[in-house]
Amino acid sequence: MSDQTGLTLTLDGASVSFTKGESIFQVAERHGKEIPTLCYDDRLDAFGACRLCIVEVEGARAPVASCTTKAEPGMRVTTRSGALEMHRRVLLELVVSENREVDVDELSGYASQELTTLVDRYDARTGRFEGRISGTSRPDDPNPFILRDYANCISCYRCVRVCAEQEGDYAISIMNRGFDTQITTEFEGHLKESACTFCGQCVQTCPTGALGDIKALRHKAIEKPVEKTRSICPYCGVGCAVDIMTKGDQIVGIQPAMDGPANEGALCVKGQFAFDFVHHPDRLKTPFVRNDHGQLVPTTWEVALDKAAAGLLAAVNEHGRHSLYAVASGRAPNEAGYVMQKFVRAGLGTSYIDNCSRA
Amino acid sequence: MTQTTDELIADALLQPAPLLPLLHRLHERDGYLSEEALRAVSKGLRTPLADLFGTVTFYHHFSREAGGLDALRVCTGPICRLNGAEQLVDALEGSTGMACSGRCDEPIPVLRGGQTLVGLRADALELRETPLPPAPPQGIEECVFAHIRDDDRKQLAGYRRTGGYQALEQAVTSMTPEALLDLIDASGLTGRGGAGFPTGRKWRAVRDASGGPKTVVCNADEGEPGCFKDRALMDHDPHGVLEGMALACIATGASRAFLYLRYEYPETEHVLLRAIEDAEAAGILGDDVFGSGQTVHLHLRRGAGAYICGEETSLLNSLEGKHPFPRNRPPYPVTHGFEGTPTAVNNVETLSSVAPIVLHGAEWYRGLGLGDHAGTKVISLSGDIERPGNYEVPMGLPLRTLLFEWAGGGRKGHEIQAVTMAGLSGGFLAGDDLDVTLDEPSIRSKRSFLGAGGIMVFDETRDMVDVAHSAMEFFAHESCGKCFPCRIGTQRLTERLAGSAGPTEPGAWLDEVADINRTMKETSACGLGHAAPLIAESLVRYFPAAVQNHIAHSSRSTGLDT
Amino acid sequence: MSNPLRDMEKPDVIFCIGTNMTECHPVAATRLKKAIRNGAKMIVADPRRIALTEIADVTLQIRVGSDSALLLAMAHVIHREGLVDEGFMRDRTTEAEAFLAHLAEFTPEWATEITGVDPDLIEEAALLYGRAERGAIYYTLGITEHICGVDNVQGLCNLALMTGNIGREGTGINPMRGQNNIQGAGDVGAIPNNYPGFQSVIDPANQAKFAKAWGREVDLEKGITKVRALEQAGDQIRAMLIDGENTVVTDPDRDHCERALKSLDFLVVCDLFMTETAELADVVFPASGFGETDGTQTNTERRVQRLRRAVPPAGEAKPDWWIVSQLAQRMGFQGFGYTSAKDVFNELCSVSGTYAGLNWDRVEFGEYQWPVPEEGHPGTPRLHEKEFINGRGIFKLIRYRDPAETIDDDFPVWLTTGRRLASYHSRTQTGRSEGIDYLLSEESLEVNPGDLEAWKIEDGGWVKMSSRRGSVRVRVEATNRSPRGTVFSSFSFNDVPVNVLTGSGYDPITDTAELKVCPVRIERD
Repeated sequence: MSDQTGLTLTLDGASVSFTKGESIFQVAERHGKEIPTLCYDDRLDAFGACRLCIVEVEGARAPVASCTTKAEPGMRVTTRSGALEMHRRVLLELVVSENREVDVDELSGYASQELTTLVDRYDARTGRFEGRISGTSRPDDPNPFILRDYANCISCYRCVRVCAEQEGDYAISIMNRGFDTQITTEFEGHLKESACTFCGQCVQTCPTGALGDIKALRHKAIEKPVEKTRSICPYCGVGCAVDIMTKGDQIVGIQPAMDGPANEGALCVKGQFAFDFVHHPDRLKTPFVRNDHGQLVPTTWEVALDKAAAGLLAAVNEHGRHSLYAVASGRAPNEAGYVMQKFVRAGLGTSYIDNCSRA
Repeated sequence: MTQTTDELIADALLQPAPLLPLLHRLHERDGYLSEEALRAVSKGLRTPLADLFGTVTFYHHFSREAGGLDALRVCTGPICRLNGAEQLVDALEGSTGMACSGRCDEPIPVLRGGQTLVGLRADALELRETPLPPAPPQGIEECVFAHIRDDDRKQLAGYRRTGGYQALEQAVTSMTPEALLDLIDASGLTGRGGAGFPTGRKWRAVRDASGGPKTVVCNADEGEPGCFKDRALMDHDPHGVLEGMALACIATGASRAFLYLRYEYPETEHVLLRAIEDAEAAGILGDDVFGSGQTVHLHLRRGAGAYICGEETSLLNSLEGKHPFPRNRPPYPVTHGFEGTPTAVNNVETLSSVAPIVLHGAEWYRGLGLGDHAGTKVISLSGDIERPGNYEVPMGLPLRTLLFEWAGGGRKGHEIQAVTMAGLSGGFLAGDDLDVTLDEPSIRSKRSFLGAGGIMVFDETRDMVDVAHSAMEFFAHESCGKCFPCRIGTQRLTERLAGSAGPTEPGAWLDEVADINRTMKETSACGLGHAAPLIAESLVRYFPAAVQNHIAHSSRSTGLDT
Repeated sequence: MSNPLRDMEKPDVIFCIGTNMTECHPVAATRLKKAIRNGAKMIVADPRRIALTEIADVTLQIRVGSDSALLLAMAHVIHREGLVDEGFMRDRTTEAEAFLAHLAEFTPEWATEITGVDPDLIEEAALLYGRAERGAIYYTLGITEHICGVDNVQGLCNLALMTGNIGREGTGINPMRGQNNIQGAGDVGAIPNNYPGFQSVIDPANQAKFAKAWGREVDLEKGITKVRALEQAGDQIRAMLIDGENTVVTDPDRDHCERALKSLDFLVVCDLFMTETAELADVVFPASGFGETDGTQTNTERRVQRLRRAVPPAGEAKPDWWIVSQLAQRMGFQGFGYTSAKDVFNELCSVSGTYAGLNWDRVEFGEYQWPVPEEGHPGTPRLHEKEFINGRGIFKLIRYRDPAETIDDDFPVWLTTGRRLASYHSRTQTGRSEGIDYLLSEESLEVNPGDLEAWKIEDGGWVKMSSRRGSVRVRVEATNRSPRGTVFSSFSFNDVPVNVLTGSGYDPITDTAELKVCPVRIERD
């Protein structure tokens, strides 16, 4: 471990320490430097495409990409200078020039505002470098989840890389080359015909909204701010942390929590896109009781609770406390299960309870 | 009998670097790469289908439509354009243009399946042998071309007649690898592909690197427009290249080497395969080099049409069957090359120089250069010049001496207006800047570089803005698309040189071009992005009036198509 | 899981058995894929060519229900080849000698007869796992939903114990829990044998402890399982309170289940929707669901995380804990005056040893994995690091047993059941989320193309599939995922209620149903 400690370099004039293997970008970020980038996602291998994260390293011929350059002892690094800022602005102006639009709705995805934010920060909406737009959108893809608006694609390949490195599906890839580069799938088909599992990770890492969350974007017109509430996915036992996006009283979409301990930014198609059952018209909105004609009819809580209590008590009174059985849910919160088991134990003195884990 | 896809896959899996040869065999068997074949390859090689599909589309020459393999491809490189290549494309039904295919000293090449025809008219295409380099002026001693004009040089017997493979024999029987490395160090040999890195140092780094197996790669992806020297070396002196590769293996401790040949040299593949076979049969290559017990296996791998694969890390990705984007460096190939193993990547000319150096000594090689400059450099000279061809010049020879004394000067009655350097990558030299000597320090002082040694000559009849536009179109076409400045920058420069987009006010036009040039040069991830701006930059520097005229007369009516 | 999810990126050898992880636990599977990308090797044992087999190094396509034979043979090879971790066996286990002697007869050739897997492949898998530096086992219901589910799990434990692949990073025996809070349901005591925190109900000390906490003494004997309760419905069992479970569709032997619920005097159901089960109830309560409730849930790696309310519940829907508390109060039970989920959770922590160090505020960011025995404790991401809960790991001398029903002339085809990526359980939620139908709109029976040809049934055609308990109609899909003689269907679609067919038997210890094996007959319809 001795070779891993005590390493230092000079960052914007100050001596800072780093650990072996860290990139300059990581060191700088750790020390509060705001280095712009578009192709970086800290979950992915550094790629070095956008070149916005360039820094000056004393002795180097030209600026280096800080994401792909490892920190070395004694390096003298400058993260901000007139020349660097000039290059960054030109690069952003170039990026603006290749896209149909820069401003996309925040419902598009987790990272969708990255380009807009940087373009504003560098005042790069100058209209310079006008020319052909890159990328061909795929409105022909009928999938109901992932918008493929490649006219807003900047070829950062985060989608391709997240699909390979994080999701492990290798569904998307890079077709052609140069300015004709196109994000696509095998044989240019629709996502459904590819290895895509609709996990949505590509959507969430896209910095321009070229890939967008179609289900969330349907709520674009609601003129209320988007709020996010951290919770946990309601499906399998992995326990992926999610941010529930709401506008007013409506859930409009789901985003994975990048710092979710179980999922670290990942979700699957269910967690990502199968949330709107919450607002489905089939939801039970009142209690129901069976009437004299044997039909279940809506009623008030008072009536239903009284009837349920009476019904359960009748069985217990008539057939003993071991005649009542409770089945707790593996889908409901811990509090539900706790109260259920306490209901039979503290209420009846039995352990006549189970849950759905046996089937 | 035609082999089934599964048989071809099984065969391929017995080889290192199986993807490209497998794709070529399927391509040749079916005339294109079918969806079915790609699905089978994906399964057989356990490579994701989307990745495989994307990688196939990266290469210019892999066709995904039936009959695509045999569709004619006409070279529309800078020199062939001067010779009417675009008209030839129109005249040849179903043909398409392709980037410079490395025959700038001949009429326009037309690729048809595995054959290259040449000619200026659609009805006069013929097969023609690769031209031999013109003889040097009296008193000039050559290194790599010294015996290339000998009879029968292509054959093993002919090669051995004048000392061929003696260097290798000597290296495995009476030299230590250390002594071989010392010798190469002392010779001052540097990379002849353009980067100019000291060869001895590179090899030593591979030898000293931990991990293995070690690998040698001969970069024969001669894609730079205006460069055709490696083809001459491989076609006429194939054993010279192989011996150099074998020596590189001995020096670095590698037992395998790949020769990565550009797609556009189909005939060369046969020459090299024959040479490898003969040398193996003679016990020169293989499991027991000259009875020394040392193993050197040479594998030929063919590219599929991508200029960027001449960049060594793209080449390595291509060999490995990955998307041929350049890699981030460090780590460098000497420690993390082919499949992550220590790898020496050397140009054909560099490797061809090694055997003569071993035979004649380091001092001899150093002495071939003029002044302080060591050795020789092959220059591929083409365009508006009396005697185009490959010239092996002493390092440090004045450019004008080559142009006017060796090659007979410009076309009769015309003045040389400009030349390119490093093929296209060095941009233009013109006017007084033609007074350079052929060595890196001199040329770099003019904001250009010698590189791989391609020099294209343009006389006063040529529209330099148009030449620059087609050059930039080439770079845009060949930009891999990985880094932003190159991907977008080459496109925007092309549009501005075409006059199809960009400001109409000269000041704004020049500002945009200067900004793109500067940011590309400073921030691009590989050499392509560093070099491409030199075209625009030198155009503006040497031909300001033509540029002003271009801006003034640019028409935007063509829309944004370039 | 014995190990945390992030350990799934660390093994050098992965052994997945009875887990279709890419479809059922997709996000966990991404971690295995990362491990493989970094060079890990993977063994996959499954009757079907599930997606994991495409990235596996060794695929063991075993006959349904033959898992324990495979595991015994692997143990045999590991022992025979001297790959056992003697130090670990000596220091951390008991019954080792008897176990090793027991293995003698279970050769790969023996197992081949049962599993249908080539002995060389069994050898290869055993050597791979046996030589692993960090070998990790992952399983799901493909292991447990058998009459020999406990044996299967013990077979896996034996492998881990004999090779010392437990208690370290990147190792372990890792069941992937299928439902978001099925782990929590057990943790909080919603099981017939344990109080909260796995404190046995048959221990008088626990009885006394909870009598003190709750003011009532609980029977010193275990309750019965749901399976038995349904059997006794209408007889001993007269009333049921079911929370959030579509018992009719998800439990085996649907007819029996429906009859059982109908025979009750009184049924109360809490759910989000009017499920097939709720339809049978006397009173149905609308429960609040995802995004509408504050609370906690515990995932497969024993991590306790907070659920938060983002929107008001639909209509008058209420949290489950509130509903049950209200009911309890109206029935005259004491101690149900909770005013928030926080109250409930804090009480749970006060009585549960495993959650003792937690409280509502401490689980704010979800960084704790139980056991968290006291405040200040960092939690326990990895179990069994120093010692096992009962001291030593015990080898179990398991044997192979046939499934409850095996194929015969009348029912010649094996049916196995499971889930698919885009549908969850009985589709009460995924079926009501827009777009999911685009991916999967109907059920189909996966059949090997060779079988379809032999049975003269067209791909996409309708068949009648029958077991000893009933029949369903379903469309067939030709796919090599299914081996010859084995078909697969999920239980998600109401119009293909495969649980009409299942329910041939139950594990004698856990009462888990043999949902993974059901001999059927398939006829053109």
